[in-house]
Amino acid sequence: MVHSSTLPGRLFRAANAFFLLALALLCLFPLVNVLAVSFSSSTAASAGMVKLWPVGFNLASYRFVLQKPEFMRALFISLERVSLGTAVNMLLTVTLAYPLAKESVKFRGRTFYVWFFVLTMLVSGGLIPWYMVIKSAGLLDSIWALILPGAVNVYNAVLLLNFFRGLPKELEEAAFVDGAGHWTILWRIFVPLSMPALATLILFTMVGHWNSWFDGMILMNTPEHYPLQSYLQTVVISHDLSLVTMSDASSLAEVSDRTMKSAQIFLAALPILCVYPFLQRFFIKGVVLGSVKE
Amino acid sequence: MTGKRLKREYPLHLLVLPSFVLALLFSYGPIFGLVLAFKDFSVVKGFGRSPWNGFDNFDYMFQLPDIWQVVGNTVYISAMKIVAGLIVPITVALLLNEVTKNVFKRWVQTLIYLPHFLSWIILGGILIDILSPTSGIVNQFLGVFGVKPIFFLGSNAWFPGVLVASDVWKEFGFSTIVYLAALTGINPALYEAAVIDGATRWKQTLHITLPGMTPVIVLLATLSLGNVLNAGFDQVFNLYSAQVYDSGDIIDTLVYRLGIEQAQYSLATAVGLMKSGVSVLLISSSYYLAYRLANYRIF
Amino acid sequence: MNKRRNKWATAAVPGLLLLAMTTAACGGGNNGNNANAGGNGDKNASNAAANQTANNGAADAPTVDPNAKYDPPIEVTTVRYTDSSFKFKDGESLDNNAWTKAYESELGIKVKNKWVVNGEGNQYNQKINLTITSGDLPDMFMVDAKQFRDLAEAGKLEDLTALVDQYGSPLTKEMIDRGVNAKAAASYDGKLYAIPPAEDYFGGAPLLWVRADWMKKLSLPEPKTMDDFVKIAEAFTKQDPDGNGKPDTYGLAASKDVISGYPDLSGFMNGFHAYMNIWVKDASGKLVNGNVQPEMKTALAKLQELYKDGVIDKEFGIKDGGKAAELQTAGKVGMNFGAMWNPLWPLQDGVTKDPNAEWTPYPIPSVDGTPAKAQSSADFNAFWVVKKGAAHPEAIVKLFNFYNEKIVGESAEPAVYHTDNGIEVFKYALMAGGFGTPQGLLTVHKNVMDALSAGDAAKLTPEEKSYFDKIKLFQGGDRTNWGTNKVFGENGSWAVIGASYSDGGLLMKNEFFGPPTPGMTEKRAILDKLVLESFTKIILGAPIGDFDKFVENWNKLGGEQITQEVNDWYGSK
Repeated sequence: MVHSSTLPGRLFRAANAFFLLALALLCLFPLVNVLAVSFSSSTAASAGMVKLWPVGFNLASYRFVLQKPEFMRALFISLERVSLGTAVNMLLTVTLAYPLAKESVKFRGRTFYVWFFVLTMLVSGGLIPWYMVIKSAGLLDSIWALILPGAVNVYNAVLLLNFFRGLPKELEEAAFVDGAGHWTILWRIFVPLSMPALATLILFTMVGHWNSWFDGMILMNTPEHYPLQSYLQTVVISHDLSLVTMSDASSLAEVSDRTMKSAQIFLAALPILCVYPFLQRFFIKGVVLGSVKE
Repeated sequence: MTGKRLKREYPLHLLVLPSFVLALLFSYGPIFGLVLAFKDFSVVKGFGRSPWNGFDNFDYMFQLPDIWQVVGNTVYISAMKIVAGLIVPITVALLLNEVTKNVFKRWVQTLIYLPHFLSWIILGGILIDILSPTSGIVNQFLGVFGVKPIFFLGSNAWFPGVLVASDVWKEFGFSTIVYLAALTGINPALYEAAVIDGATRWKQTLHITLPGMTPVIVLLATLSLGNVLNAGFDQVFNLYSAQVYDSGDIIDTLVYRLGIEQAQYSLATAVGLMKSGVSVLLISSSYYLAYRLANYRIF
Repeated sequence: MNKRRNKWATAAVPGLLLLAMTTAACGGGNNGNNANAGGNGDKNASNAAANQTANNGAADAPTVDPNAKYDPPIEVTTVRYTDSSFKFKDGESLDNNAWTKAYESELGIKVKNKWVVNGEGNQYNQKINLTITSGDLPDMFMVDAKQFRDLAEAGKLEDLTALVDQYGSPLTKEMIDRGVNAKAAASYDGKLYAIPPAEDYFGGAPLLWVRADWMKKLSLPEPKTMDDFVKIAEAFTKQDPDGNGKPDTYGLAASKDVISGYPDLSGFMNGFHAYMNIWVKDASGKLVNGNVQPEMKTALAKLQELYKDGVIDKEFGIKDGGKAAELQTAGKVGMNFGAMWNPLWPLQDGVTKDPNAEWTPYPIPSVDGTPAKAQSSADFNAFWVVKKGAAHPEAIVKLFNFYNEKIVGESAEPAVYHTDNGIEVFKYALMAGGFGTPQGLLTVHKNVMDALSAGDAAKLTPEEKSYFDKIKLFQGGDRTNWGTNKVFGENGSWAVIGASYSDGGLLMKNEFFGPPTPGMTEKRAILDKLVLESFTKIILGAPIGDFDKFVENWNKLGGEQITQEVNDWYGSK
């Protein structure tokens, strides 16, 4: 994009920068709050005194959380799930988006397939049959139970097929003339040209795998096989105070400890928060231009 | 002729095959569960032996005293969320596109995506604080302009607005990413040509950037229609109270409360089936409208 | 056989090694009894020996030996939950711990967990529902009231009546018979189909908690009547009890749930002889719902007045208990109604924070000459059942015997089975929930008090001992143990409960404790919404006349039907 250096132009840019900065700070606020609470003394936190800066600074909650073997174990399972799951998801997304991006004339089954897949986004059988299918597939208590049932991400595939469609047709046709097959064209032309879109989808997929907790809780037979978010779920949920008994009451004091909660929430979000800045370098403009230039 | 065609197209079928099998198994496999919508299901009796009850589950739902208010709230809240959830990320993506300093741009991009990672339980607590009519920062700020304190979370007039605004706050940064990706796909040569023609930046945005993003916008807008009966359970559940039932009770919170007394799988399935019906109807009609009127295939 | 067990014994953790090896070495008797010769001075072994003698004496009788160890060992499957309060030593888990090892070495029962889920409420419920539906039931498992009724009705459960008679230890029988209502809830068609949950009507009853230091500072009288209460509440709101010169304090805590363990406005209503969400007997002996009685109208009108006066946080209607607790911890609230455990949470936080803060519990003050009764529900929602056709249905009774014996019996071994270096081992046991002492926490309080005055903790059970130790620490100046002292110690929760609710009989029990009736299943969610919405709106200032409309609506929307069903249940009980 070409920018003007006129006065209104500069004024706009200044106002724009100011606005975006304000927006960014607004979005930073809740995380800073969580962080401040995690470093505060627990009484200050439970009195609701902590806003943006720790009150009674200490590292106790981090020490406690990081010492727990469960936390580390769950973290590793999450990492395994994310890497395996993202690889499988992306492979299927790419191989599904490519044929579906073809015109109906070139691929007759296309419209049927598209609706076949889109319907899966809109209709579901519900919890019980979902569980029973996975159980009878023999996947219970295995990492594949967290990967295969959701391996086809139709939303991502549909997004990607839209990007694929936007690529110049000339490239594909030229490659066909040179005798390249679909497989080669997909990996040699489509994929390299769609890096920004793929980076976006990789991010979505990783975040999706990282954040899901319900399937881990339902499909794993022991908490030792839980990914991090399933493990953390009991820490984060609110408790029904009408059913507390004496034996829960002492633990209630513990689970209502906000510094501990906040530390776990922050630590659990940290790895995935760091992914995006790394993916940002794929958002470079003009990739298409470079390759179509005569 | 057909043989030749098949030969040319079979690699494409082959590419679809793995996804097709998985979807058939894990998405279409559980579809048999929809029969629960027409049964009086008990976990003890199971699928086979639970008695059929026709449309009783639907009747029950629609005979609940507040059902139409709840449906109305759901559609109102989700429609506003859909619209705001499209406009805000697109606008922010366009504004970010105007930023020339890359470091600044990356920082802003990263920071606005952070709230996505916090759960509504956490954000709910934070919102109660900052929206408090006595000590909340928002009301203190408004007080500077002479605005009387507003009880945002306790007033039926404000509650839906708070839901929409806080949902946008949480999600817009994350949704912006896909539009930013779409922006990178626009051919820079188009801008160069426009500048030579003397087009202002506003004109460039209007005639190059926006049209370049249109396919993605249309696609996401169409898909979001599928959520018209999902107003965001986690958010509402963590923020609502008896004070704002009138404006904040939605289908999912109602079904949740109905299910506390017993595992209401049949009712949940019936409601899910209804939601699916509405989604399919909305999405397929927009798909065919776009195809008929503009000869455009959304997906 | 012996060889195999020896091999197992050497694999045991050191803490159990001695016990396990003794068992393995001595447990070769034909009748499979577990330990026939004491000799090592172990309390357990000698007790078991005593049992055996008794059994041998009756060896010719047709009765089975209830203490017999399975030889060869049997396997029993079950399912479990954990939550963040479960702590484990390195290498231990719910599949492998002091209890599982003892089950195997002492009883010959290998307990296998088919699954373990993290999260006791919703999470466990979801998984158990899926497990029941997919037909893959474990031998024994825990269900809620609804699941219990459905399973019993469908004939999927073993009848435990005879098994408890035959195999139950005296302690087990005492535990089960103590909870009359719990036992009734665990029965179907007059037969016992589950080990019932512990019955505790005191633990959830509301007490009035008052900031004693504020009361003293403002020279206020103790809250003996509702008038006193209102006076204190007004003074706490208007006379700047925290002395910061700002009108930022409240007299009474409240949350959007209106009633729950903390803060619990039902205590306030009880002062007006109104009872929220429970079923009480009216003058004619019929059960009626407390929500729609005229006393409730009076109570709500008074709450409305207090809200208008600023005694209650203007924003209480959107805050849950956790959020409401913030104000109290920050030292901004002077009174609340709540359960006996409130000192542990949230009051402890505020006491730790402010060295001057002190809270005192009182029984519910009454609005008139009739002493107020605190309302109480015992929610029976944890039934341990045995799958119909399980190979060893009696194993559940043996496991329960063993639990009772090891926790409160003669041979209790606290360091092994209760708390080991601060790790709560008792949580790993099957059927641990809620049980612990035959007479409940009131006895715990009395025993702890006796031990404190005698200065001798030797006779205490492990649970009691842990409270005793904490109270000693508190007396030594450690304010982080204030909460335990306030629950079990002098002038604490149980002191008040003992004097007023137990001895004084000032307790209003929920007369309905059956499984949900069809009307409840269908309509209760709607009625709950109506109740919460109407009550909240009245407290916030809606015309009090709306209460009459509410009653009319409540009856129309299913209340009348449910009242009928509840009375039918009551009649058939």
